[in-house]
Amino acid sequence: MISLTGLNLILPQLIIALAAIIVMLSIAVKRCHRFTNLFTLLSFAAAAISVLYIPRGSFGVSSLFVVDGFGKFFTVLIACAGFVITLMSYHYLNAREKRNEEYYILLLLSSLGALTMVISNHFVSFFLSLEVLSVSLYALIGYLKEEPAGIESGIKYLVLAAVSSSFLLFGIALIYMQTGHLDLSGIAAGLSSSGEFSGVFIAGLAMVIVGIGFKMALVPFHLWTPDIYAGASAPVSAFVATVSKGAVFAFLLRLFYSTGGLENKNVWTVFTIIAVASMLFGNWLALRQQNIKRLLAYSSIGHLGYLMVAFLAITDRGMQAATFYLVVYFTGMLAAFGTVIYMSNKKGEALYIDDYRGLFWKKPWLAAIFTTVMLSLAGIPLTAGFLGKLYLLTAGTEVGIWLLVIVLVVSSGIGLFYYLRVVAVMFAGKNENEASSEPVIGKIFPHGLVLTLLFLLLLWFGVYPSSLLEIIQQIASVIR
Amino acid sequence: MPVNYYIFLSLALFAIGIVGVLIRRNAITFFMCIEIMLNAVNLLLVAFSKMHHAKQAATLATAGIDGQIFVFFIMVVAAAEVSVGLAIIVMLFRNVHSVNVNFLNRLKH
Amino acid sequence: MIYLLQEELSKKVMDVNDIASYLPIGIQIVCAAGLVAFLMLVTHLLGPKRKTADKLQSFTSGIESHGDARQPVAIKYFLVAILFVLFDVEVIFFYPYAVNFKGLGWSGFWAVLLFVGFFLCGFIYIIKKGALKWEE
Repeated sequence: MISLTGLNLILPQLIIALAAIIVMLSIAVKRCHRFTNLFTLLSFAAAAISVLYIPRGSFGVSSLFVVDGFGKFFTVLIACAGFVITLMSYHYLNAREKRNEEYYILLLLSSLGALTMVISNHFVSFFLSLEVLSVSLYALIGYLKEEPAGIESGIKYLVLAAVSSSFLLFGIALIYMQTGHLDLSGIAAGLSSSGEFSGVFIAGLAMVIVGIGFKMALVPFHLWTPDIYAGASAPVSAFVATVSKGAVFAFLLRLFYSTGGLENKNVWTVFTIIAVASMLFGNWLALRQQNIKRLLAYSSIGHLGYLMVAFLAITDRGMQAATFYLVVYFTGMLAAFGTVIYMSNKKGEALYIDDYRGLFWKKPWLAAIFTTVMLSLAGIPLTAGFLGKLYLLTAGTEVGIWLLVIVLVVSSGIGLFYYLRVVAVMFAGKNENEASSEPVIGKIFPHGLVLTLLFLLLLWFGVYPSSLLEIIQQIASVIR
Repeated sequence: MPVNYYIFLSLALFAIGIVGVLIRRNAITFFMCIEIMLNAVNLLLVAFSKMHHAKQAATLATAGIDGQIFVFFIMVVAAAEVSVGLAIIVMLFRNVHSVNVNFLNRLKH
Repeated sequence: MIYLLQEELSKKVMDVNDIASYLPIGIQIVCAAGLVAFLMLVTHLLGPKRKTADKLQSFTSGIESHGDARQPVAIKYFLVAILFVLFDVEVIFFYPYAVNFKGLGWSGFWAVLLFVGFFLCGFIYIIKKGALKWEE
């Protein structure tokens, strides 16, 4: 039944949903890129701020959603990421595409999917948010009409995502057979009453893991990642790398912690294998990449693997570490793709590592930012990435999952090589032969400003993390 | 009829869908196969919904209703997926004048 | 009280599996076949007929055919088909609403109205963008 009482709890989601419709109608009346961009920015900001008006505590909104500190934290995170991506898209789209207002409808809709996913407490709402997120992503990935690679990656993502979501659905159906419920609390109750996990339930859980693993690009299901990152436009790749993965990770935490699915030894082992493979393969395959977007794709596979370590610790501290690391990962990835966008020109994106050769001598400030980002992703001290990894490690060692901890350390070591290779290229001598005639897309405002802000955030979290940690500590224990 | 029959039928349909996606090379056929897979799930959900309803109808009149509602959403989502997919295929066709996915190898390095 | 779409679940499967229970299906088949036959007959009777000499000539005049017989269909058809799929499927949400029309009361009515309103926004967008303009 519809009631107006719960509506203030889902205010951010309502704002984004309404914004998408308003943008659509405004395009129908008159096209104006500047207005559309500004309006989208405002609605993301409003969504982030409106979280302050949600009362504290954990509330259920019908049986579909639960609004708690954890959900609110991720709501703010996703809204901020959406804000940054919108800001970085403006000049990029102006340079590369003529009709670019629809881009913002799609961006708002897919953010809406992510925003509802992080508060989902029911398989129906999870599936719907997942599809709202990915159906708009199909169109976003293939958005640049002149770019054959974009369309190709769009169709690839479409087919693979559709297959993976049918796997997910089949899994959900099997879980439904076993427990008779589609909401997470009902599933937990059904499980605890039956005691042992049955074969059907395990099969269902395995198929759900396939679907979720695909979205998060964990290793056996990662093959789409480099192609889609390379083919999609850089802002969209940033979106796929951050918002889409982060939201699914948030639901993964909710799903397995609230139903207790990880208590089963087999499920835990499967996740361990996935995590180990993601960390090793992601970093290993990144070593040979010349294309910076493919490199970031493989690196993101590795980072999601790191996150799984904290997920598998099944402690409050593990959850705090995962949340902290996810914030750091968001910041780093957004800044990395932001730099790619900055360096792109009308003809194409600055895809290859060689495009960054001698960047330090041309744009020292940008090179400094990109260096910091790379060091943070690699996990060098004084950056946020280092502290994030430290928390992951402590979360792992506390419960003694040594295999995962050791693999984390080893694969971070492998990771150092390719991150430092990018840094080294930037400081190498100027390459005189290719004096690119096209000016870069990036402008001081807003690109330079946003990048600087993200850069400062990375340093801030790296040197003085307690401000963020205090917030995370408040929200992280709520979910259990 | 025991619920096993439904499970076997939908497993068969699901497997047909997977095999189709794996071996066919036509983008339109992909969508048909995905549709088969989704409908296999629909069948399963409806069967389970009826099963749970028959089991618990005495205590809870609305038992098993969520499975049926879920089916509606899956149908709508499948339609949305297909229409976005068709739109992308139209764009693909304008580019390469074919819907054969073997042309999609630009991104390999 | 929300109703399931299938009523009378309490009946055993055995009870409904006899030959008489197939009667509605038989009626439906007869109706479907009858509709097809009726439509074919009616179009035959009502449609205008122009029997000209050119039309009755057989089409093998020795002139070689040009191009591919499988002409690409105009994009308009595709667009309309895609939009039709979307707006057609929307209707399935009305079925559960129709079954529970009374039980849901005004709040259900407003919810459905909101749903239709959102769809209308999409429709306005489509019209304004000229996706349904046939002549051009």
